[in-house]
Amino acid sequence: MTTTVARTTTYAWMVLSAITIVSWWLAPSHTRGAVAVASVPITVAVVLLGFIKGRLIIQYFMEVRTAPRWLKLFTDAWLTTLWVGVLAIYLY
Amino acid sequence: MANTGQTAAESGPATVSSVNSAEGQRRVHLPGDVHMWVMVLGDLIIFGAYFIIFMVFRAMKPQEFLASEQHLNINIGVLNTLVLLASSWFIARSVQATRAGDQAQALRLTYGGGLCGVAFIAIKAYEWSTKIAQGYTISSNDFFMFYYMLTGVHLFHVSLGLLILGITVRELRNPRRRRPFMIEAGATYWHMVDLLWIVIFALLYVMR
Repeated sequence: MTTTVARTTTYAWMVLSAITIVSWWLAPSHTRGAVAVASVPITVAVVLLGFIKGRLIIQYFMEVRTAPRWLKLFTDAWLTTLWVGVLAIYLY
Repeated sequence: MANTGQTAAESGPATVSSVNSAEGQRRVHLPGDVHMWVMVLGDLIIFGAYFIIFMVFRAMKPQEFLASEQHLNINIGVLNTLVLLASSWFIARSVQATRAGDQAQALRLTYGGGLCGVAFIAIKAYEWSTKIAQGYTISSNDFFMFYYMLTGVHLFHVSLGLLILGITVRELRNPRRRRPFMIEAGATYWHMVDLLWIVIFALLYVMR
């Protein structure tokens, strides 16, 4: 039963897992000996990756990409407000 | 919800075929029912507010938060994220199997997703116990207060998600039920648990 829909779900899961593994290198807990330094580029990357992951889950797992327009708009508004808000507070 | 269910049960096979054709033609389809979406979107707004409040506190003491973040175990954080993503894959595939009329496969996939959920709770319990043993408790500082609060409230949602998956199992096992919208509604909730964890993981474990 490997339909196109099934394959798409699996691709989404692979991308999500790959991004998660990349996040491992970005995290500050590797520098356990030294004190971690705040990093704007890393935090911007984390925010971007978090946005992408959230959108993949919403679109492909929650099936919002075939859902009514109001749900697409609401979920996109939620994702955007959240991550823009997080980044704005961080940079401020 | 019971009334809606009755209607769907009566038109069971028709619902399945219309959903199948919806897949093919990419027609508009609301997964589950509107009640579940109201609950999920409400939860997203409440958690969204928690996340923003966390960021405001973090902005007041960035050094303290970053130093505390270093004490979290990123290996466990990544592992738990992978476990939850795998569970979402199982559940998404289970919905597709239900639509294709393969209940046995849908059941197996739901059990797979549920097992991942149980593993997530076990790993989280281990993580908490090691943190407490190291002396990092809810009263250590603001970061650990948020760490225990956010992961604790999330863990409650994981448990509730497992209960809802149990309801979908009951639905799939009963040949007289098997209402696709019920399976979809359960899956919608489960994916929300995954979605919230993705944000918690980024904010607590990864950002600098």
